[in-house]
Amino acid sequence: MLSSAIKTELIDIVTKDRYLDRPEELACYSYDSSLDESLPDAVIFPLTTQEVSDILKIASRHRVPVTARGAGTSVCGAPVPIHHGIVLCFSKMNRIIEVNTKDRYAIVEPGVINGDLQKALAPFNFFYPPDPGSINISTIGGNVALNAGGPRCLKYGVTVDYVLGMQVVLASGKIVRFGSRNIKDVTGYKLSALFCGSEGTLGMVTEVILRVAPQPETTRTVMVTFSELDNTAEAVADIIGSGILPVAMELMDKMTINAIEDAGRLGLARDAEGSLLIEVDGIRESCEREMARIIEKVKQHGAVTIQEAKTPADRDKLWAARRQAYGVFAKIAPDILSEDITVPVSKVPEMIRRIREICTRHNITVGILAHAGDGNMHPLIPADRNNHEEWTRVIKAFGEIFEAAAALHGTLSGEHGIGLAKAAYLPLVMDDDSREFMTMIKRAVDPDNILNPGKFV
Amino acid sequence: MSDSTDFTDSPASKCGKCGLCLAVCPVHRLLMEEQASPRAKIQLIESYNRNKLPSSPYLKELINRCLMCGTCTANCPSGVDHYSHFMDMRQEMAKEHGDRIEIKGLVFLLAREQRLRLAAGMAKFGQSIVPEVFQKKYRLSNIPLDKFPQLNKKPFRSVVPEEIPAKGKELGIVLYFTGCATNYIYDTTGHATLELLTAMGYRVRIPQQQTCCSIPMLYHGGIEEARKNIEQNLQCFNQSDVAAIIVDCPTCGSALKKEFPAIMKKWDKDSNMAEAISTKVTDLMSFIYDRRDNLKIDEKKAATTGPVTYHAPCHLKNTFIPADRLLRELTCIDFIEAADAFDCCGGGGTFFYEYPEISTKMAMQKIAGAKKTGAKLWLTDCPVCRINLSGRLTAADNIKMAHPACYLAGLLRH
Repeated sequence: MLSSAIKTELIDIVTKDRYLDRPEELACYSYDSSLDESLPDAVIFPLTTQEVSDILKIASRHRVPVTARGAGTSVCGAPVPIHHGIVLCFSKMNRIIEVNTKDRYAIVEPGVINGDLQKALAPFNFFYPPDPGSINISTIGGNVALNAGGPRCLKYGVTVDYVLGMQVVLASGKIVRFGSRNIKDVTGYKLSALFCGSEGTLGMVTEVILRVAPQPETTRTVMVTFSELDNTAEAVADIIGSGILPVAMELMDKMTINAIEDAGRLGLARDAEGSLLIEVDGIRESCEREMARIIEKVKQHGAVTIQEAKTPADRDKLWAARRQAYGVFAKIAPDILSEDITVPVSKVPEMIRRIREICTRHNITVGILAHAGDGNMHPLIPADRNNHEEWTRVIKAFGEIFEAAAALHGTLSGEHGIGLAKAAYLPLVMDDDSREFMTMIKRAVDPDNILNPGKFV
Repeated sequence: MSDSTDFTDSPASKCGKCGLCLAVCPVHRLLMEEQASPRAKIQLIESYNRNKLPSSPYLKELINRCLMCGTCTANCPSGVDHYSHFMDMRQEMAKEHGDRIEIKGLVFLLAREQRLRLAAGMAKFGQSIVPEVFQKKYRLSNIPLDKFPQLNKKPFRSVVPEEIPAKGKELGIVLYFTGCATNYIYDTTGHATLELLTAMGYRVRIPQQQTCCSIPMLYHGGIEEARKNIEQNLQCFNQSDVAAIIVDCPTCGSALKKEFPAIMKKWDKDSNMAEAISTKVTDLMSFIYDRRDNLKIDEKKAATTGPVTYHAPCHLKNTFIPADRLLRELTCIDFIEAADAFDCCGGGGTFFYEYPEISTKMAMQKIAGAKKTGAKLWLTDCPVCRINLSGRLTAADNIKMAHPACYLAGLLRH
C-alpha cells in the first residue's frame, strides 16, 4: 500500500477520478496476456506529459516502482507489476496529434490503439505497417515498449523501423526528446531505437513520431497446404531465397489448423500436415508475377491444395483463421505457454524438426505456427499449471527449445519481448559482458530502479 | 472444484486473457479502463469464486456496468461464455447486495402478466395527468419524460384475435411471440408484423398464455420469477404444426433461441422442448429475408419514402442476422448504411437507466452517425434501442425511428 501522504500527492496531480486503489480495481491491473500476475498498489491514468513527469518525480522521491501499461495484451508479462507500486495506465492518453502524409509521419500519444491509427491513415491511402495480432486493441505505447511485430513485418519490418522520434519522461521526471520528423536523421545516438523493446525499464514514452507508408495498390493472398510439415518449411526458405519478398508467410501445423477449425469452422483442410498463408502486395502486375512464381515454387515442394482469395471477403476469412490461432489454444487447456523464438529463415525446417523432437520426447502437445518468412516461430504449448508433473515437463521442453534456437544462431524473442517469461534464458543469447552493458545503461538512466523493476534488466 | 479435471467449469479457465474482447466491448471502448472490460469481469468472477476477492457492493457495480450485449461472447476466440457467467454473477450479486427499488419493482411486474397490465394502465393514466412542463423537466437516464413512448391504449394482444388467417393462399402457420414492448408500448410494430406475415401467406397464431421472456429478471437475479415465466412460455409455444416462431424483439428472440435451452439444462430439467422450440425461433426480418420473393413491395411508393438508415441491435447481430441485408436487397428503397450501424447504442435493457452517463455518450455517437447518412427515417428492431435513441433525438435532428416491420408494411402493394 502507498502511504496516505503519497496518495494525496498523486491525487493532487490526476484527481480522484484517475486514481484507482480499491481491491476490485487493482485485481484488474495485475495481469496481461501471459501467466504471471501481481497486484499493484495503485493505478493512475495520466493524460499529459506533465502529469507523467509530476508522477515520476513523486515516485522517484519515495522510490515507488512504476510499471507502464497500455491495453495489457503483452504475452510476456511486461506490464505485470511484479514489485507492486504504481501501474501507469496510458489507455486514456490517446490523442492522434498529427497525421502528415506529405512528410510521411504521424505523431501520436502512447494510448492510441494501433487499429485506430490505421483508421486515421486510411482516408489518405496510408498505413502503419507493424500489425501485431492484437492490432485492434493494443496501444502504440505498448507496441513501442515491446518492439511489436506482426505477420506483415516480413516485408515491412517491426516497430523500431517506424519510430522516427519520441518524447520520454525519465525516472527523475525530466522530459527529453529524441529523433525528429525526418526520415533521415543521424544526429546523435539513435536513442528512440533504444526505447523500442525496453519494456518501460528506461523511461515513459509520452509521444511518438511514427513513419507511415503509402498503401500498396493491391494484395494477392493464397492458402497452400502440404502433406508434410518439412515440405512446408522448405518451401518458405526456397521462396525467400529465390528473391521474392512476400508481405507475409504464415505457417500453421496440423494441430493449429485443427484447433482453429474446432473453434470456428472456417473450412481449413483438417488433414493437412502443414499450411502456408502467403500474401504479396504492390503494383498489380508485379503481384501477379510474384504470385505465379510462388505457386510454381509451392508446387515443386508438393503442395496439395492451393486456394487463392478471390474477393476481399475470402482474404478476410483466411486471415481471420490465422488471427484466431492464439486464442483457440486457450480452449484446449487451462494454460498456454507461448514461445516467440526466431531463427534465420533457412533454419526454419531444422528448428521445426527440433521442436517436435523435444516435445515428443517430453510427451507434451505442441502446436506450431510461425511468421515463417522471417523465421519467427510461435510454438504453442497447451498445458495445466496445476498439474505439477506435466508442468515440469513443459518447462523443461520450453528451455530446450530456447537452447535449440540459440544453437541455430536464433534468438529468444522476435516480437513479444522478454518480460518475466523469458528473462531467465537471456544468457543463452547474450553473454555476461553484453548483459552487463544493458545493466549499465539501466543504472545510468534509472539509478533507483523504480521503472518496471524485476524484469529482464 | 478440481482444477485439473474440470477446468471448463470455472469462468477464467478457458480465458487466455488475450484481450481481444476489449476491442469489441462498447463500454470498454468508451471508458478505456480495464475494469470495464469483459476480460476483467471474468477475472473478478474467478477471484470471487476462489475467495481471493470478497463480495462487495462495488464488485456488484463493476459486474453490472455491462450492457449484456453478448458481443464479447460472440467474438471470443477461446469460447468463453461471458454472457452466462455474467448472468450468474449478477444473480449472485443481486442476492447478496439487493437491487435498486425500481429494478426490483420491474422484476416484480414482469413476473406476472396481470401486474404488468395493471401497471401499464396506471402508467398510461400517469402519462396523461402529469403536466407537460414536468414531463419536459424530469428525466430518466437523461431522457426527458415526454420523450418516452406513449403506452398502448390497450395491450396489443387484447385487441387482436388469437389466430389471423393468411391473405390469399396459405403457405403455413407461424407463432408470434409479441414481447412486452409490442404488447404495451409499440403496438404499431405488432400490427405491422401481422400485415407482413399474412400478406406473405402465413396464418399467424398468438398464444394468449405467453408472458415476459424473463431476460430482465435474469439480469437482476429474479430466478424464481424467471423460471415460472420460462416454463409457461415453453408450454404455450410447444406446437408442432408451425413453420416458425416469430419474434420482433431481438432480446426476447435471443432468450427463446439461446437462453431457454441453456437454462433448462442448467436447472437440470428436460431441455428437449426448449431445444425443439429454439430451432423454430427466428427474428421477423430474417424470416422475411428468407422468403423475400413473397414480399410484394409497391416500388413507386418505396421511391417516395426518402433515404432510410438502420441501427443493428446487439442481440440481433449476436444471435440472428441484422435486417440491413434485407434493406440492401430491396433496391427500390434508398437505403444508406451508417458507418457505425453495428455499434452498440448504449441501451442494454436497464443499462441506459442505471448508467445514464455512459449510455448518453454512446447514444449521441450513434445519432451523429445516423445524421451523417442524411436519412430522415432510422430503423431498428429492438424496442430498448429505440427508446434509448429516439429519447435523445431532438426536433432539430428531424429523424424519426421505427421498427423495420412498420416501414415495410407501409410499402406493401395492395
